[in-house]
Amino acid sequence: MLIFVIRRVLMGLALLLVSSFVMYMLVDFTIDPLSDLRTSTDPSAPLQMEQRTEMLNLNAPPWVRYFDWLGAFVTGDFGVAWRTGRSVSDLLGSAMISTLQLVSFATVAAIVLGVAVGIVSALRQYTTFDYLITFFAFLMFSLPSFWVAVLLKQWGAIGFNDFLADPVIAIPVIIGIAVVTGFVWQLAVGGDLKRRVIHAGLAALAVALVLLYMQLTDWWLRPRLDWVLLTVTSLGIALTVTTLSTGLRNRRSLYTALSCVALGLVLYYPVRYFLFSNAWLTPYMNYGVALLLGLVAIGVGALIGWLWRGPDWKQSARTGAISAFLIAFLIFLDKVMSYWGAYMAAPAIGGRPIQTIGDRAPNLGGNFWVQVLDQYTHLILPTLSLMLISFAGYTRFSRGSMLEVMNQDYIRTARAKGINERTVVMRHGFRNSLIPLASIIPVDVIGLIGGALITERIFSRPGMGQLFIANLNADDIAPVMAYLVIIAFLAILANIIADLLYAALDPRIRVNA
Amino acid sequence: MKIRRLTAFVAGAAAAALAITACTPPDETGDDGNTGGDDSGIVTDTAVTVGWNQPFYEYNTSSATGNATANANILYLMQESFNYYDPELNLVPNEDFGTYSIVNEDPLTIEYVFADDIAWSDGTPVDAVDLMLQWAATSGNLNTLADEDIETDEEGNVVNQDEVDANVYFNGTSATVGYITEVEVSDDNKTLTATYDRNYADWEVNLTGAAVPAHVVAMHALEIEDPTEAKQAVKDAIENNDTEALAKISKFWNEGFAFGDTLPEDTSLYLSNGAYLLTEMVAGQYVTLEANPDFTGAHAATVERITVRYNEDPMQQVLALENGEIDVMAPQATADLVEALNDLGDDYTVETGIDGTYEHVDLQVTNGGPFDPATYGGDAETALKVRQAFLKLVPRQEIVDKLIVPLNPEAEVRQSYNVVPGSPMYDGVTEANGQAEAFPLENDVAGAEALMAEAGVETPVDVRILFAASNARRQQEYAIMAEAINGSGLFNLVDASSDDWGSMLSAATDQYDAALFGWQSTSTAVTAGNANFGTGEINNFYGYSNPEVDELQDQLSTETDPAEQERLLGEIEAHLVNDAFGVTIFQFPSVTAYRNTVTGITPITISPTVFYGFWEWGTTGDTADSEG
Repeated sequence: MLIFVIRRVLMGLALLLVSSFVMYMLVDFTIDPLSDLRTSTDPSAPLQMEQRTEMLNLNAPPWVRYFDWLGAFVTGDFGVAWRTGRSVSDLLGSAMISTLQLVSFATVAAIVLGVAVGIVSALRQYTTFDYLITFFAFLMFSLPSFWVAVLLKQWGAIGFNDFLADPVIAIPVIIGIAVVTGFVWQLAVGGDLKRRVIHAGLAALAVALVLLYMQLTDWWLRPRLDWVLLTVTSLGIALTVTTLSTGLRNRRSLYTALSCVALGLVLYYPVRYFLFSNAWLTPYMNYGVALLLGLVAIGVGALIGWLWRGPDWKQSARTGAISAFLIAFLIFLDKVMSYWGAYMAAPAIGGRPIQTIGDRAPNLGGNFWVQVLDQYTHLILPTLSLMLISFAGYTRFSRGSMLEVMNQDYIRTARAKGINERTVVMRHGFRNSLIPLASIIPVDVIGLIGGALITERIFSRPGMGQLFIANLNADDIAPVMAYLVIIAFLAILANIIADLLYAALDPRIRVNA
Repeated sequence: MKIRRLTAFVAGAAAAALAITACTPPDETGDDGNTGGDDSGIVTDTAVTVGWNQPFYEYNTSSATGNATANANILYLMQESFNYYDPELNLVPNEDFGTYSIVNEDPLTIEYVFADDIAWSDGTPVDAVDLMLQWAATSGNLNTLADEDIETDEEGNVVNQDEVDANVYFNGTSATVGYITEVEVSDDNKTLTATYDRNYADWEVNLTGAAVPAHVVAMHALEIEDPTEAKQAVKDAIENNDTEALAKISKFWNEGFAFGDTLPEDTSLYLSNGAYLLTEMVAGQYVTLEANPDFTGAHAATVERITVRYNEDPMQQVLALENGEIDVMAPQATADLVEALNDLGDDYTVETGIDGTYEHVDLQVTNGGPFDPATYGGDAETALKVRQAFLKLVPRQEIVDKLIVPLNPEAEVRQSYNVVPGSPMYDGVTEANGQAEAFPLENDVAGAEALMAEAGVETPVDVRILFAASNARRQQEYAIMAEAINGSGLFNLVDASSDDWGSMLSAATDQYDAALFGWQSTSTAVTAGNANFGTGEINNFYGYSNPEVDELQDQLSTETDPAEQERLLGEIEAHLVNDAFGVTIFQFPSVTAYRNTVTGITPITISPTVFYGFWEWGTTGDTADSEG
């Protein structure tokens, strides 16, 4: 094992060295640092050309410059972007944060949704639902991201913002949406006709009621989770989490979740109106504090589970932790949403909250909550555009792997033992179907740190991809090379991690030295 | 705990929750009825938001790194200067900043007098010492280390840093400021007298203001607390040529004004002496400027705030304009873009015009190709006739009609090698140069045939055209040229396009016979053309040499009377036409689009383009940054 790791690392380094040379040569041949001066009529252009040639050592052959660069790079000196005089490590730092912000949420959402839909699709193999998902997945897969991004801007930003000027959904449209949702829902649920009709009806009714409620309470302009919505949503969370985590039969687990709901409702008022107020926490709020509060919620949830203990207190604690965290998140969300009206009315926003460029609105000001809101109005479209595309991939992948697992002998054995279907699917099927995912997710995640070049450029987010393109256009080799080497390094690293992870998860795989 | 007791506890908690439900929540009514119960801290001022394609990154626009349009635009809003261009490209003196005049013709001596009340935003007056530092820095005359002594590795990291630090090295050198060999500052620091070592025609645009405040440089470089003392220190250092102090000053001048991700905490690093103060910056995204309350000049801010946001992709700027995120945009014009802008509707104004770059075709005369006398055994006459015949066939009007008029309905063929259309000398120069008659817009095929017959050259002659391979517009131009010229049967165009065209112009002269590209004008300096046409000059890639042109250029470069400059330019261009040096085709089209709620936008042809006339901007209600 150790020898395997060492060998892989050494090979990786050699690969990195060779690829850095190749990349350096390619970039060097591509760019022309004197291009802007060549067509300038400025009388000083010749002098500047001379200076620049001297500064960048352009008269030396490229490999000489490569070795100079390499020498500095391995000692940790990434160089200076000569056009702006800024140090490359500086540039990388801020770009990486922006990229992580963008891709982390998109990746997590794509994995969670993609895997969930893929699993359902696999369980309903060769049904209309399965075909529908397959069709949708291939459609999304084949859409060019620049086009999706522009469509999202046109409809998701310009269209939605226009809608917000007078947010009324016509009754026939509400009925239409409800019917379509009901139809898709019954496809996913499956079963006999009666079951399908009941589910379709319930789903359609729920959607229609929610839309109507939103319309009647002016929810689009004043989004909030009042007592009604908070209670309904929390109960929904409690039931879903319990079902997936332990099954509703486990009463202690269910009571734990319900206790969390009750506690959430009790704490809603003091937390939302006093803890999260200007007099208390607001001036000190940042993501660190928010995370800390989230951890507290998890702790409290686990504690409740432990109080309901029994022979299997760990299960209750798990259910409690997840439920409490989600319910706490709802309260956080409600606080953020309460600034929606003020945000829309801000001069910097002018009643058009969904933004298409940058990662923050200029001249907005505002406290932590407004800042969070602002970040997400800028994040939502690029995140959606990244998500739609990678979501499709995960759907296909998890469907395939789930199908393979569900046809294994041990699944039949499990069923024969009389274990209920939920346990068979969630414990024996789902978990094992995730093993192959372990080998693609690291590669995907680390690949995404390279930045979504096109998405970042179109939404004008100052991330890694943007750094690369902008500097390539500016004929600035230092940041371009730093970017390329980091990406190459991460790609190699990701592959090694994927191999090791796979071996760790699946005892049947042996890593041969 | 027993389950039953816990159930009781939960029930009690639920009851408590319900009881609290009955309470009225705290007052949630803010100014809009929904602020979450407390002050949101949102800024309520209005602004005009301009979209631009490259972010601002450095305050010192004269340094080697800061010299970029993106920086110059922002500084135009922050700093006054001795003169500025008006929409007709006249150079207008700005007496709010100071006055200047020629006090002696031989040697050329200029006296700059600063206005009494012009001051940096920290209260220190803007005066002759600031201009003195500008001269010291950009003339390069005080540098004790020549450029070639700087040893760098590939990254631009200076290897011999210690040696550089010990020497005076200002990195933003302008050759023409170097013509000023002596400056003298009066005792009250209000007057600077600059003496040239030669007559220089474009002296008026040579030294126009100070890029950075001298006292700030000295306060940082020499660690002086008091601004007045710091100013004096700069003056002393330059007057006494104190290399130790100047070395520190030059180092700070080169590097001290570059910004990181946000504005530096030290506010002295971005002082203003003009209409706006820089108040916020997010690297790569936007800068915000606010009206300077202390500024009293004529170009005072009329709009409370100006925000400049960045997006490299013009089509995305159109969407941002439509979504209310920007109010004004002035990208490079393309057909798709103009169409998208026109589709925006009546709430927006789209104005087309010309920008500072012009397209032209130049001929290689020393590469052994069809335009080189050597090809015809040194027969200059024959080569000239072939060149003239070729240029007569270049379909200039057709190119303009097909490619440029759709973007700028008023586009015309440019007829001058030196002067920007619409600038004061354009009409006079184009009348004198005769380009319109020699190379008529209606292609003179008969004339070309006659010339080729006289030349007695076997036709068709192959002509290799060098242009940027991946530039769509130049591909189309080539296609139009090929169709028109090949049709005559006299010439046969060969596509010699390359992505490496920029370096091929000078490095691979035997690879092409004619070059199609654009020159960019950054000012109306009349001497700029010498680099293109003078014998052996840097931008003369073609071996063109005419002693009379060189002689006229010499006269021009020392001529300070505008009428005489115009006459000389006319004569130079007449030679270029007679020698069939090349033809000029069109001025690049520009487009400016803005929301109708912004008024007073009047872009000019050269830098600062759309930012010109910001003192006349106004808003009528809803801008990207105001309440709807």
